[in-house]
Amino acid sequence: MRVMVTGATAPLGTALVQALLGTAGVELVLAVGRECDPTLPSDPRLRYRTVDLTRRRALHALVWGEARTLGVEVVVHGIQHRRVHDQGAPIHAQNVEVTRELVLACTAHPTIRRLVYRSFAEIYAVHHGTSSILDEEAPLDFDPRSTQWVRDRVEADLTVCAHLGGALSIAVLRCAEIFAPDAGSQLWDYLQSRICLRPLGFDPMVNVLSLDDAVAAFAAALRGSATGVFNIPGCDTLPLSRAIAESRRADVPVPGPLLAPLYGLRHSTTGFEFRYDMNIQRFHFIGVLDGARARAALGYVPRTHVAWPRPWWRLLVEQLGAEQAIPR
Amino acid sequence: MASTTFKRIVHEAPFFDEGYGFDVFGLHPRSLAASVAAARPIYESYFRVDSVGAGAIPREGPAILVANHAGVLPVDSAMLCVDVLRRTEPARIPRAIADHFVPRLPLVSTLFARLGVVNGTPANVRCLLERGELIAIWPEGVTGPAKRFADRYRIQCWRVGFAELAIRYRAPVVPVAIIGAEESWPLLTKLRGTHVFGSPYLPIPASPIPLPTHYHLRYGMPHVLGRDANDANDPDLVASAALEVRRALERLIDDARRERRGVFR
Repeated sequence: MRVMVTGATAPLGTALVQALLGTAGVELVLAVGRECDPTLPSDPRLRYRTVDLTRRRALHALVWGEARTLGVEVVVHGIQHRRVHDQGAPIHAQNVEVTRELVLACTAHPTIRRLVYRSFAEIYAVHHGTSSILDEEAPLDFDPRSTQWVRDRVEADLTVCAHLGGALSIAVLRCAEIFAPDAGSQLWDYLQSRICLRPLGFDPMVNVLSLDDAVAAFAAALRGSATGVFNIPGCDTLPLSRAIAESRRADVPVPGPLLAPLYGLRHSTTGFEFRYDMNIQRFHFIGVLDGARARAALGYVPRTHVAWPRPWWRLLVEQLGAEQAIPR
Repeated sequence: MASTTFKRIVHEAPFFDEGYGFDVFGLHPRSLAASVAAARPIYESYFRVDSVGAGAIPREGPAILVANHAGVLPVDSAMLCVDVLRRTEPARIPRAIADHFVPRLPLVSTLFARLGVVNGTPANVRCLLERGELIAIWPEGVTGPAKRFADRYRIQCWRVGFAELAIRYRAPVVPVAIIGAEESWPLLTKLRGTHVFGSPYLPIPASPIPLPTHYHLRYGMPHVLGRDANDANDPDLVASAALEVRRALERLIDDARRERRGVFR
């Protein structure tokens, strides 16, 4: 199998490239990113290319040039701008136009037969009237008041979905929040603060995905031939208060209407990435992905728990325990 | 008895733990068990709940309890759930289905979630039935608690969604008559223009707290609706199945009211 991975320098892309290089049957990985000096493993099967995919000509040259020459069969695409406060046409181009152009370029391609697209659980609408369990038919967030971060992801997802049923085999993986640094997880950003303000009287269940499980889901989608939309939930479903406790943060319930201004103030003074107005519904109501379809069609079952921050003494105990477990 | 119920709920009741002691809807068996223990004086001494026929509740697999509904706050629902937890063997946790405004209520939404209450969307109920859980539905919805005192024990608006799901998932429906609740906390009036946290109206009760009426719970025989799951697609069959359950519940209510000696005795 010959695979092209866009966003290869992002946490998920890097982990996926490493996993692919460790997989039998993968002949070549064409990794694409914007960074000139990425920290990717050295492997004769790996080729890294620095390409600005927002430039249409460069994208076309990559797909119809090198990818065709190398005989790439499967493309994994997951480039989305991570910072929630950034907005404007360049961000939209990266989030949506790149996806549109890439799908179009792959559609009539002589060697590419499959596209695996990383989408997001945040595109689902969550409010008091929606189900706590979100299957693939759950309504999407078309609220015009939503942030560009969400609107772009909805548009990109639908752009890919519009090509389902065509000659190109497409799998859209709507992933739960990947609980890792720089992975675009708002919950991760939220939990970076020592004091986590939570809406008073609400403690919804949240679901988070470990990087290992996300990689496993993509690997399963690459191997398989199932097409369609698949929810990719994580192994950890817990109340928000418990997530705060697991992260060793102080949980401070605050009346809901105060939270958006407080976090807005925090962003303007310290650059804090978390945006409460974008997460207001998720911090009130449950919206957990139903992974039944991914389990049935892709064989994906979440197995790896996220690594919650641990105090030094617990890390020491675990390390000592691991050393004792090594046979001498 | 209280400690036994606590152990049965925490250790014996089937529970889909997501790994942190909660299920995906937020149910926390320890919180539920503690609440049932705290509700014991209310159940035993205040309302003196007298229950007959709880053996009709299936011991396992999907099942639906359907009951009449009244009162300013869902005290009748709470007493029914406590009764089911105390009288089923092994203990089955009833998943009460709530209206869509309940998740908007601060504190209440979280408390209810920990006790097993689930927002009443079709997908949520489907998920529970697929897991083989016992759910409790009040098909009158908010029209039950909103009824006038003069309309007590008269079934109001009767939704049919429960019948469709019962047919589709082959879940037996057990009608439950709750007697006593409809006199316990009557509604004086309702302020319709006030929608606090999305509630349909603001209830003004006739008494500050529920009156200590004698509660009688009567479980009917399970009804298996429809011939097969495909019948769930036929709206006429669904409507007639829902009507069948309504008639059974009305008979149970009438019988239980005839048998009781008085509202408070």
